[in-house]
Amino acid sequence: MILEVKDIHKSFGETEVLHGVSFQVKSGKALGLLGRNGAGKTTTIRILMDVFHANSGELLLDGARFVPREHRIGYLPEERGLYPKRTVMDQMIFLGTLRGMGTKEAKQSAKRWLRRLEVEEYAPRKLETLSKGNQQKVQLASTLVHNPEIVILDEPFSGLDPVNSQILKDVINELIAEDRLVIFSSHQMSYVEEFCDHIAIIDKGNVTLSGELKEIKREYGRNRLVLAAEGISPAEIKERAKQVLNGLAVVSEEKREFLILELAEGANRRQVLERLAASDISVERFGSYEPSLNDIFVEKVGEEA
Amino acid sequence: MRRFGIVLKYELKEYFSSKGFMVVTVLIALLGAGLLFLPRFVDMSDFTGVKVVGKEEEPGSEEPGEEKKSRFLYLDEAGILHKEVLAELFPGVEWEEAADRAGLSSAVEDRTAQAGFVITGPTEYEYYVYNKSMSDSNPYLFEEAMRVFYRMDYSAKQGWNLEEIDAMYRVPITGSEQVMNKDTGENFWYCYILVILVFMLIVMYGQMIAVSVTNEKSNRAIEVLVTSTTPNSLLFGKVIAGAVGGLFQAALILGAILLSYGVNREFWGGKLDMFLHVPADVLVTFAVFGLGGYLFYAFLYGAMGALVSKTEDVSKSSGVLIMVIMVVYFFSLLQLDNVEGPIIKVLSFLPVSSYSTMFARIAMGTVAPWEIILSFVILAASIYGAGALGAKIYRMGTLRYGNPIRLGAALKEIRKEK
Repeated sequence: MILEVKDIHKSFGETEVLHGVSFQVKSGKALGLLGRNGAGKTTTIRILMDVFHANSGELLLDGARFVPREHRIGYLPEERGLYPKRTVMDQMIFLGTLRGMGTKEAKQSAKRWLRRLEVEEYAPRKLETLSKGNQQKVQLASTLVHNPEIVILDEPFSGLDPVNSQILKDVINELIAEDRLVIFSSHQMSYVEEFCDHIAIIDKGNVTLSGELKEIKREYGRNRLVLAAEGISPAEIKERAKQVLNGLAVVSEEKREFLILELAEGANRRQVLERLAASDISVERFGSYEPSLNDIFVEKVGEEA
Repeated sequence: MRRFGIVLKYELKEYFSSKGFMVVTVLIALLGAGLLFLPRFVDMSDFTGVKVVGKEEEPGSEEPGEEKKSRFLYLDEAGILHKEVLAELFPGVEWEEAADRAGLSSAVEDRTAQAGFVITGPTEYEYYVYNKSMSDSNPYLFEEAMRVFYRMDYSAKQGWNLEEIDAMYRVPITGSEQVMNKDTGENFWYCYILVILVFMLIVMYGQMIAVSVTNEKSNRAIEVLVTSTTPNSLLFGKVIAGAVGGLFQAALILGAILLSYGVNREFWGGKLDMFLHVPADVLVTFAVFGLGGYLFYAFLYGAMGALVSKTEDVSKSSGVLIMVIMVVYFFSLLQLDNVEGPIIKVLSFLPVSSYSTMFARIAMGTVAPWEIILSFVILAASIYGAGALGAKIYRMGTLRYGNPIRLGAALKEIRKEK
C-alpha cells in the first residue's frame, strides 16, 4: 500500500498556508512529518483525514483517489479529546463500532489495547477521573481500537512522561512491524529518528526536504569527517587542525566534544588520516560524520527544533 | 444508516443511564398520578362536588353554613335599608346596626367588626374597612343591595308590585345546545396546556441538544468524531436521541397523569375534564405535529450549538431561535380563541408554528384533510431541511474554536463551499 500526497495547496481566506506539499509513504514504514509550529503539519494531516478540503492537489492510495472514510484509519488528532463524562470502555466500544466493528469485537479489541497500554483497570471509569497521561493513553487506545491499516498520529508524544513515551514507542514499532502504514508528526527528532524510514520537513507550507532518512543522512554526511583528540579541547584542536590539514580539509563546525571537517575538493579520507598520523595530534576519534536529524532540521529550517 | 444507529444508541444511553433523568421522570410521573388519587382519600367535595365514600363527619364538627360569620355594621340615615336583602346578598355576614357613626368607625378600627356601611341618602353610602384587599367585593355587593332598596322604596311610593315586575324581567328561558362539530370552550384548556407542554419540551431539550453539540467542540472530541463518521449521522443521532428522551419523559409523565385521571375521574366529578380529558384523535395529532415541531427546532438548536465552542456561549447563538419560539408561542396562545381566523390558518402551515397551531385547529375548529396533509408535508420537508442544514453547519463549525460564528457568516461559507 502506498499513500501519496501530491502538490497539495490550501488557503484559509486569502492566505495560502500550504504551497504544494508532496510526499509518499508505504505500508510497513513510518513517515515523520517535521516542522516548526505553524509550518503546516497539522493542516496537511487534516487534509489527509478529510477534516479540511485542499484547494488543489491529489491524495492517492495505490494510485487511486484516497477517501479516508473508505479505509480503516487510526487518527490521533493534535487536539485531543473524548467524552469526559462517559466511561473509557463505553467510548472505546462506540468508536470501534462507528469505525466498522461489531460490539463484541470492539469490546475485545478495546480490552486488548487498554491492556497493551497498561490502563486496563480504568475501563469502567469515567474519562475525567483519569490523570492527563492516562487520558492520553486511552486516546491512543481508542485510535487503534479498530485495528487500522493506516495510522496517523499528530504529535503523539506531547504530554507523555518518559515511561509512557517508551510504551508508545514500543506500540509504534509493533505497528510498523505489523506492516501498517504510519505517519506521525513530532517536534521530538529523537523519536522520529527511531522509527521513521522516511521524513518530510515542512517549512512555511513547503516541503523543504523529503525522502529516505538513511539516504538523507548519507547525503548530508558526504565529505564530512569527525575529529576528536586526547587531552585537547575542540577549540585548541581547531587551531591545530587548520595548520595540519591545510589544503585537505576545513573545519566546518565545532561541537562540544569534536570537530566536523569538510573535505576539500579532490582530497580524500586517507590523505587526511596520513596527515594527522604524521602530526603530534593524539587522535581519539576519526571517521565519517553522520548528522543527527536535529542537525539536518536546523540546517534546513534554520533554527533549533 | 448503521452509523446513525450507533450514534443514536450511544446518545440514548447517555439519557437512560442518567440516574437524574430517570429519577426525575419517574418521580414527577408518580407525583402527578398520585395527586389525582387524592379525592379518593381526602374530602375535596367543595371543589369536586363528590363526597368520599365511607367518610363520616367528625362528631362535633360544624354543620355546613354554620361556620363563623363575619361581623358587619350598618347605620341607615336614609331609612331605606331592608335587612333580609343584606342577608341574601351577604350570606356569610352577621349584620348589626351601629348606634352612631363614631361607634361604627371605632369598631372597624379596633377590628371587632370587619366592615361598616353608613347609608347617607337613597343613592349614597360610605364604606368603612380596616385593610382593603384587592379582591374586596363588599362595596359592589352593597351597591347592588342599595339598588334593591331604591327599587323597593320607589315601587312602594308608586304603589307598584315589585315582585311581579321582577318576575316579568327574570322570566326563565330554557335552551338546549346541539354542537355539530367542536366545542371550543370545552377543548380550549387542554389545547392551552398542550401548547405550553410542547413549548417547554422544545426550549428545554433544544437547549440540552445545543449544549451537547457544543460540548463536543469544547472537549475537543469533535475531530475524532467527524473523522470516524459522517456529520449527518452525528447530528441526526444526537437530535433523534434528544427527541426520544424528551418524548419518553413527556409520554411517561403525561401518560401517568391521564391514566390516573381516567381511573379517578368520577371522584373528581369530571372537574378536570377541561385539562385532562383529551380525546384520542387530539392526542395523536398533538403527538405527530408536536414531535414534528420539536424535531424541527431540535435540529436548528443542534446547528446553533455548532456555531460556538464554549457552552456558556450557547445562549448567544440560540438567542434568535428562542426569540422565534417565543413569538410563535404567544401568537399561538393569543389565537386559540379564534381558530377559524386567518392568522392561525397561516400559522398552521408554517413549520415554525404548525406544531401548536395545526393541532389547536384540529382540536377546536374545522380543518380539511388536505390542509392537515399539506401542513404535515411542509413540516416533514422542513425537518429534513433543518437537519441537512444543521449537519452542514455542524461540519463547517468543526475546529472553528474561539469566538462564536455568526449565523449569516456560516450560511455564506456553506454557500461558498457548494
